[in-house]
Amino acid sequence: MSIPMEAVAGPGRKNKKEFQWSEEHAPADFRDGLFELEAAGELVVQRVPDDHVLVPLKYGRTKKVPIGQTWHHKSCGQCGHIPGYSTSIFWVNRKLGIEYEDPKDQTSCTAWNYYASATSNSAAQAAVAVRNFAAAYESGNFPIIHCGTSYGHYKEVRHELLHHPELRKEVRKVMEALGKPLVLPEEMVHYSEWFHAMKDEIARHQVRDFSKIAVTVHPACHYYKLVEGDAIYDPEVYGGQRTAIVTGVAQALGAEVRDYSTWFDCCGFGFRHILVQRDFTRSFATQRKIQRMKDEADPDVTLTHDTGCVTTLDKSQFAAKAQDPNAATIPVLSEAQFAALAMGAHPYLVCQLHWHAAEYRPLLEKMGIDWEKAWAEFEEATEKLRKDDKAVLTWEDVDV
Amino acid sequence: MGDAAFKLAEPSYPEVSYEEKERLFAEVKADMRFDDYLYGCYECGICVAVCPSARYYDFSPRRIAQATAREDVELVFQQMQEDIWECSQCFSCLRCPRGNNPGGIITIMREVAINNRLGSAHEALKGYTRIIYKVMSTGTQVSPDMLQDDAFPDWGPGVAAVSQNLDVWRRALPPETHHTTTTGWDIARSTLVELYLIWHKTGALAMIADVDESLHALLEEVMEDLLEEEGYALD
Amino acid sequence: MSDAVVVIGGGPAGIEAARTVADLGVRSILVEQRERLGGTPIFESYAALTPHFDSAEEAMDGMIAALAERDLAEVRTNSEVTACKGDAGDFTVTIQGAGGSEDVSAAAVILATGFTHFDPGRERQIYNYYQYPDVLALQDLEVMLKAHDIRTPSTGEPPKRICWIQCVGSRDRNIGNEYCSKVCCGVASKQAIEVRQILPDSRAYIFYIDMRMYGYWEQQIYWPAQEKYHVQYIKGIVTEVLEQQGHLLVRGEDTTMGRPMEVPMDMVVLSVGMEPSQGTKDMAGLFDVPQNKYGFVEVTNPPLDTVTTGRAGVFAAGAALGPADLEDTISSAGAAASRAVALVRRGSMAAA
Repeated sequence: MSIPMEAVAGPGRKNKKEFQWSEEHAPADFRDGLFELEAAGELVVQRVPDDHVLVPLKYGRTKKVPIGQTWHHKSCGQCGHIPGYSTSIFWVNRKLGIEYEDPKDQTSCTAWNYYASATSNSAAQAAVAVRNFAAAYESGNFPIIHCGTSYGHYKEVRHELLHHPELRKEVRKVMEALGKPLVLPEEMVHYSEWFHAMKDEIARHQVRDFSKIAVTVHPACHYYKLVEGDAIYDPEVYGGQRTAIVTGVAQALGAEVRDYSTWFDCCGFGFRHILVQRDFTRSFATQRKIQRMKDEADPDVTLTHDTGCVTTLDKSQFAAKAQDPNAATIPVLSEAQFAALAMGAHPYLVCQLHWHAAEYRPLLEKMGIDWEKAWAEFEEATEKLRKDDKAVLTWEDVDV
Repeated sequence: MGDAAFKLAEPSYPEVSYEEKERLFAEVKADMRFDDYLYGCYECGICVAVCPSARYYDFSPRRIAQATAREDVELVFQQMQEDIWECSQCFSCLRCPRGNNPGGIITIMREVAINNRLGSAHEALKGYTRIIYKVMSTGTQVSPDMLQDDAFPDWGPGVAAVSQNLDVWRRALPPETHHTTTTGWDIARSTLVELYLIWHKTGALAMIADVDESLHALLEEVMEDLLEEEGYALD
Repeated sequence: MSDAVVVIGGGPAGIEAARTVADLGVRSILVEQRERLGGTPIFESYAALTPHFDSAEEAMDGMIAALAERDLAEVRTNSEVTACKGDAGDFTVTIQGAGGSEDVSAAAVILATGFTHFDPGRERQIYNYYQYPDVLALQDLEVMLKAHDIRTPSTGEPPKRICWIQCVGSRDRNIGNEYCSKVCCGVASKQAIEVRQILPDSRAYIFYIDMRMYGYWEQQIYWPAQEKYHVQYIKGIVTEVLEQQGHLLVRGEDTTMGRPMEVPMDMVVLSVGMEPSQGTKDMAGLFDVPQNKYGFVEVTNPPLDTVTTGRAGVFAAGAALGPADLEDTISSAGAAASRAVALVRRGSMAAA
């Protein structure tokens, strides 16, 4: 017989648009274990409210992100040192007309301490987490987590609780003494996932033009490296090959996002190092991140979405500059503050930029913000606070 | 003298007995999380490549995984004394293709080091005790009033500005819970009660005695006072 | 009792099986989905075969020519198996071709449906295959090697520094492909030798976890790669491929020296592993043949029987069984052919 042997067209190199995550290749889904244990009466699962948005995760899965009825699990570092960060998160919610709760019956996740000093144990960490979740559950509002480390740590705690019956038993006993149930939320939701889910809505409220603003993004290790399947990967952003968090929001606001060669590097926070061994943190942050960003991308601002990362990148620059006047300076913002500024927020009354260290005023100028005038407004507003030591600024006061 | 894989050099820390080092390793291995954190290691080096601490210290998550996998109690003890506090706890090493978690193994080693009062733990946490006090007693860490320019001179002149204007600038925050200076936010008394009960019942408070006796005494006093006021007996 | 064997898949395994069945005096019907025979070596434009550096195209064309001389062998291209009824010795296999659908009687079936290359987009390390044109997979480089024209895609210039990253998509618990893909160490080294031959000014590096150089590959490939062609083997797999000022930056640990390393490269080649092809998965499903957790066809009595599946009368050959080099493939194809023919002759399954 005769068998044809003509030449064939060579193989095309696969193109990024052809690539798709599929559930076939996904690792085990924590949700299977979660609902099984709920059915067995081992724990209570707080459901995401009906009013939610679906966001895409790695491996083609999705996650429900609540829009409102949220219980804001605050970050100790944000509230302590960078209060413009949490203020901006609340402000954006209010601007979009969304109801939320800022609870007093919330403790820190205590993971900064745990990762720094290990002066704790699995049971204590899990009990602290579950106590916070129970407080949210009892309020009827769904927890949304402000800090990247809290979020990553809670994902780990969830894994440990789902896989270790002896841990559940111990935590349940502690909860019983507190009169609280063993609760886990259906999803662990980070506030930046809310910003990603709401980015188009936020962009509809944009009043300042960011088309001339160049941005580098620093994604937090604890957001996407801990329990890596549970993080936002969006086919529209980086072709789904990197986490879309923060980048999605920056792009929705019209900013130009630029790449740099240490994108996947840690910021150098170190948990313990930034407090008691700071030469490491500031060397790493400035040499591996800030200087590289400057040399390769020359951005107007770098955006991140975690307390430790904002602190590290912002506070490390002064020492480097003191040693070398030519050291790079890049202002550091959370994407929450960036979005708030886009929506017209006051840089000092809302974004509280006076708590930041790296020079940010040229950035404000580029955004079309008269920072001198803004600072004068802030000083005027705080004059009345100096006169009356019981007075505080309210949300109405800051919307000038 | 034990059946460690092999002995090439004289053991470091000869003043500590082999049995003691064996006991410490057994404590690490017995932790509930250990089997989640250590599978096998084929020395690919990915963990070192992504590790921020490996760039600035003579530190290697690969050597940590190897030492624990080999059950080399001498080497593990040395690492507990010299290396484990250099880890940044970033968990970039979770990129390990075997599914190991060197950062997690280190977390366990740190807890064991603290619980057994190893000198390295004490050294590493020197200067850190006020933070432990703050987080355990107030449920928030690193409060606004800790921003003082003698504590953070390298963070720039902004720290002094915050410190000088602290009270006013805190009242200039719109969120109602943020008008605090000694804590990050306004935390409810009942919540502190719950937190203290957690520290007490899970053994976290007792652990502090191994770090710093006077810190422990202070914390115990603060916690017991509040719990008593609220009608709780510490069983 | 039928007197034919249906072979599904027209790559080296299928061609070898079909020809061997014919040589043993039994009719074989080779069904191939695509427009011609040759399988992956032809359709992925393989250049030289490992380890002897013979031309893949010539080897395949030679096999096809030999098959063409066997009157007992029938070839149907552009055809697919769509159904199968019956049992060992008496299958009715429905073949859909250009002329329509036809029921064919067969005593035995051989699945020779092969593999596909792991898609680097699923890799957990940051290789940026879909981001940077200068990051290639093994098969992308084969195209250039076959044309004897190696150029960095972004500049059009021949690369000065080129590296291979081993174990891409393999040996990873989280990806799920825990197995070693067997051939990539040999193939990458072969490619490195070819590149050094074509571009004598280039520098070639291979980043590995273990160097799998079974049997004669050690002195056929590994030693000459190092000694004659000065390919640099560095123990320490790369974790990130980033871009810096126009060239690629490759990041890993040089474990021998015990320190992190970051080196520039013009081209990076990912040694992607083998996974079961869509055809293997489809046919295993259609014939109700047990697969292992990776989707390859499972044999019921390894290691003494490397080709008999869990469905009586259905055998498998080549990379449908798992990662295989050409020698494995030819051997298993012969074994599958012999057992299939034994079934025809004896009217029952041959004992192991």
